[in-house]
Amino acid sequence: MNIGLIILSVLLIILVVLAVSRSENPGPIVQRAIEQFSKLVPRMFFALIAAGFIAQLIPQELIAQFLGKSAGLQALVVAAAVGLVVPAGPVIAFAIAVVFAKGGASSAALITFISSWTIFATHRILIYELPLLGASFLRLRVASVFFIPFVAGLLALGIGFLTKFGSVILSQ
Amino acid sequence: MGHFGFLKDPLWLKTLFKEAFGGGFFGFLIFAVAMGGICYWLRGYDIFYHALIDDLVLISKTLPRVMVAMSVAALVWVMLPRKYVSNLGGRQVGISGLIIAALAGAITPGGPSSAYALLAMLGLSGAERGAMVSYITAWALLGVQRILLWDVPFLGVEFALLRILCCLPLPIIAGLVARRLPFKLVIKAQKKNEVSD
Repeated sequence: MNIGLIILSVLLIILVVLAVSRSENPGPIVQRAIEQFSKLVPRMFFALIAAGFIAQLIPQELIAQFLGKSAGLQALVVAAAVGLVVPAGPVIAFAIAVVFAKGGASSAALITFISSWTIFATHRILIYELPLLGASFLRLRVASVFFIPFVAGLLALGIGFLTKFGSVILSQ
Repeated sequence: MGHFGFLKDPLWLKTLFKEAFGGGFFGFLIFAVAMGGICYWLRGYDIFYHALIDDLVLISKTLPRVMVAMSVAALVWVMLPRKYVSNLGGRQVGISGLIIAALAGAITPGGPSSAYALLAMLGLSGAERGAMVSYITAWALLGVQRILLWDVPFLGVEFALLRILCCLPLPIIAGLVARRLPFKLVIKAQKKNEVSD
C-alpha cells in the first residue's frame, strides 16, 4: 500500500459511484479495461524485467555521471537527446526511465527525458501526425516546442533549490 | 448477464490473445531473456538472481497500480464523450483560448489515435494554430490518463506531481510561440478538401 495506489483507488471509487449513478452499462467499460490490460501488461512485464537486467549491466557510475545531480545542466542535454531518440511507446520509455532512476539520475534529468520523449515521439509523428495533420503542422509544432524539455528541466532544477520534493519512489 | 456477453464471444477472445501475445510481445520476451542471459554471463549468478527478484517485487508493486489506473482510464473513456472535448477547443482569442485548449488536451482520454484525431477535427473546424499546438502539447505533457497510468505507477506520486508542476505553463508557452511564428499553416485534410472542390 502506498500513496500512489491510494490516490488511484480513491479516484476509481469516485468514478465507479459516478458510473453507477448514471446507470452506465458496465459491459463496454469492463471490455475496454480488459482489452487495454491485455495489450499492455504482458509487454510491460517483460520490459520491466529487461530494464532490471539492463540496470545491472550499465555501470551505475555511467548513469550517475551523465544524468545525476552532479552533472547539473549537462544532464538535461543528455536526457533530452536520449528522449529524442526513443521511437517507442510508453512501455519502453518508462522502463528506460526506471533504469535511469535506479542508476541515480536526477529528477530534473528524468523530467527532461520524459518531456523530450513525449513531445518528439518519432513513431507518433510518423504514424499519426504526418498522415492526419501534414508536414506543415509538424513544422509549426516542432518549432514551437523544441525548447520545452529544457524549460521543464530548468524549472525542476529551480524547484530543486527550494525543496527536496519530487524524488522518484520506485518501490515503497 | 447480457452486459457481459462479450466475454463468451470466441472472436473477441481470439483477438484479445492475438493482441496480448502477438506481434511486439515476443520481441519484449526475447529481449528480456537476452538481457537476462547477458547479465548472468557478465555478472554471475548472484547478481542475476537479485536483479530478477528485485524486478519481480517491483512488478508486483507496480501491477496493482497499473490495474487500478487502467480501470480509471476505461471508465473515463466510456463516460467522457470525445465530442465534448473537441467542442471545447479552438475559437477563443487570447490566452484563455490557449488555456481552454490545454485543459481539453489534458483530459483527452485514450492514446495518440484519439488525440490526433481530435486535433485534426479541431483544425478542420477552424481552431487557430496556437490552440492546436497548446492542445496537443498539453495532451503530451499533462495528459491525465498518461500520468495516472505511467508516471504514478512507475515513478511514484511525488515525481509525478513535480513533473506536472514543471509542465503546467508549457503548453500555453508553446501556443504563444506558435502564434508568433511566421510559418504558413496548411492542414493536410483541408488540402484534400480544397483539391476536390
